[in-house]
Amino acid sequence: MSDLVLENIGKTYANGYHAIPSIDLNIEQGEFIVLVGPSGCGKSTLLRMVAGLETITQGDLLIKGERVNDKEPAARDIAMVFQNYALYPHMSVYDNMAYGLKNRGVNKDEIDTKVNAVAVMLGLEELLSRKPKQLSGGQRQRVAMGRAMVRDPKVFLFDEPLSNLDAKLRVQMRVEIRELQRKLGTTTLYVTHDQVEAMTLADRLVVLNKGHAEQIGTPMELYDRPASTFVAQFIGSPSMNLIPTSVKSEYLQLSVDIRLPCPQLADQKLIWGIRPEHVEICAAEEADVMLNVKAVEALGAETLVHGSLQLGDGNTPNFVVRLAGHHTPKLGERLPLRVPRSAWHLFDAETQQRVEKSCN
Amino acid sequence: MSVHFPQKKLPYLLLLPQLVITFIFFLWPAEQAIEQAFYQEDAFGLSREFVGLDNFIDIFQDPQYYTSIGVTLIFSFSVAFLGMALALWLAVMADRVIRGKLAYQTLLIWPYAVAPALAGVLWWILFDPSMGPVALWLETVGVEWNHFLNGDQAMILVVISATWKQISYNFLFFLAGLQAVPRSLIEAAAIDGASPAKRFWDIVFPLLSPTTFFLLVVNLVYAFFDTFGVIDATTQGGPGVSTATMVYKVFNDGFIGLDLGSSAAQSVVLMGLVGIMTVVQFRYIERKVEY
Repeated sequence: MSDLVLENIGKTYANGYHAIPSIDLNIEQGEFIVLVGPSGCGKSTLLRMVAGLETITQGDLLIKGERVNDKEPAARDIAMVFQNYALYPHMSVYDNMAYGLKNRGVNKDEIDTKVNAVAVMLGLEELLSRKPKQLSGGQRQRVAMGRAMVRDPKVFLFDEPLSNLDAKLRVQMRVEIRELQRKLGTTTLYVTHDQVEAMTLADRLVVLNKGHAEQIGTPMELYDRPASTFVAQFIGSPSMNLIPTSVKSEYLQLSVDIRLPCPQLADQKLIWGIRPEHVEICAAEEADVMLNVKAVEALGAETLVHGSLQLGDGNTPNFVVRLAGHHTPKLGERLPLRVPRSAWHLFDAETQQRVEKSCN
Repeated sequence: MSVHFPQKKLPYLLLLPQLVITFIFFLWPAEQAIEQAFYQEDAFGLSREFVGLDNFIDIFQDPQYYTSIGVTLIFSFSVAFLGMALALWLAVMADRVIRGKLAYQTLLIWPYAVAPALAGVLWWILFDPSMGPVALWLETVGVEWNHFLNGDQAMILVVISATWKQISYNFLFFLAGLQAVPRSLIEAAAIDGASPAKRFWDIVFPLLSPTTFFLLVVNLVYAFFDTFGVIDATTQGGPGVSTATMVYKVFNDGFIGLDLGSSAAQSVVLMGLVGIMTVVQFRYIERKVEY
């Protein structure tokens, strides 16, 4: 039985706005699910619906098999870490962590044992008597996590918990969160707009776009086989090159016409997707495309080459190439590039959905 | 940062109107009061005699003065407590309203615009023992209301009038304070299993403490010094002296009783009180209340 089930969950606001049309999601015990998407895609709304902070206007939400749509947040046995941590500013770290237990009538000795155990796990022993404003950002973050952990809830909910930290601390906390979650084995729903965070944390990702799930899958599934141009652009950095093109008889019209393995795609409008890292420099006669180099960003371990393609139909779409190591192409140079067929992604230009190319 | 004027006199010239007003209406009368406090004057102001501290000794040996202090304390703390408690309750309610929020808030602020004397007369009419609707209603539920005869009832009436005036002001500050409490804290408390009432007392109320403390001082100052109009319009300090606060007694002894020396000495005591409260206000309000 799944631990957390979203069945046809939807949200319509009183003013008629459809924030979330319908989402289905089955989350297994101990799974780490990341909801990712651009701002306004409904990811926070969905999380808050699971928490019970927003009403669910459609569908069923089940936690451990029990329908909790109409239950108060406290009765759902979930814990949430907020973006601004939402620590009670007038309470000490200890009291912040103990508050939820006190409200549930846990006796003093047990509270003390639990809070201290969590404090040890998070390295907060020395800080228990401090007030939140005497803590650094990372420490506050830890207290917020401690407050969630101390109750040993059925589900952890995280609402962009790392976005208020600086870059270095963010990476460190990301690793810590993942470790803790593995250790505790608590089912987790995590919201972020940061795709690196999403990729590194998730067992499975849910990419949300305008309130519906574009794709649900493991990070590598999403990277290898994005279901739509939206997912293709969202996962991976720099994002995938998407070149609108058309197929004339059985040939994809690039700089040179390339024979498609799929006869049924003949004469369709397609979007040709190539990740910047799947391109290699080659001899001119082997080239699939020629790149007009416009800018070079050398990052040491890799080099990003920005430029435009010269296509047969006269279009000159922008194209980014990510090459390992040092490269020094000159500006204005025409760089012959080869793209292995296995790295191709084809999308229907109308629906923006993936077109399977393994159709021979 | 400092601003430099080309002429040296201009800054002083610009300050002059305010300085003149302060001098004529505040400093000069204050100086007069201090001076008069040391003299015994006849009722017509034709002659006076220096008596040293006699006026002060007299008022502090006068049991009526202690009565007026008691009246002031009961009156002030009742007004401050009632005014703040009701305003907080209204602010919490208004904060919850979603539809027509602005209308409610505007209506709740209106009483502040009513002149003190009008507020006094309004309540005086409502509670008039022979024709007031509230007094008549009280009679039907078995309470015999006559604030002209019953000192406690008179006190209740002036407390109501003075409180009603002040609720709007308190309401405004509490509402702003409530809106400054981050929503996520309330939500976190909800997830932590706190009932709405517990959320309020455990989270919201402590976070309002800077506002509450500020309002406590402001309300006490208001009740001590600013309620002459309400009392004069409602009970004139009566019956007897049961609603004569210290400020009312200054007026009564000076302008009705024509004992200017005693009245002046009482003013000086009040001045001292204002001074202390101002210090308290500056010392503690400017500094954020610790939480």
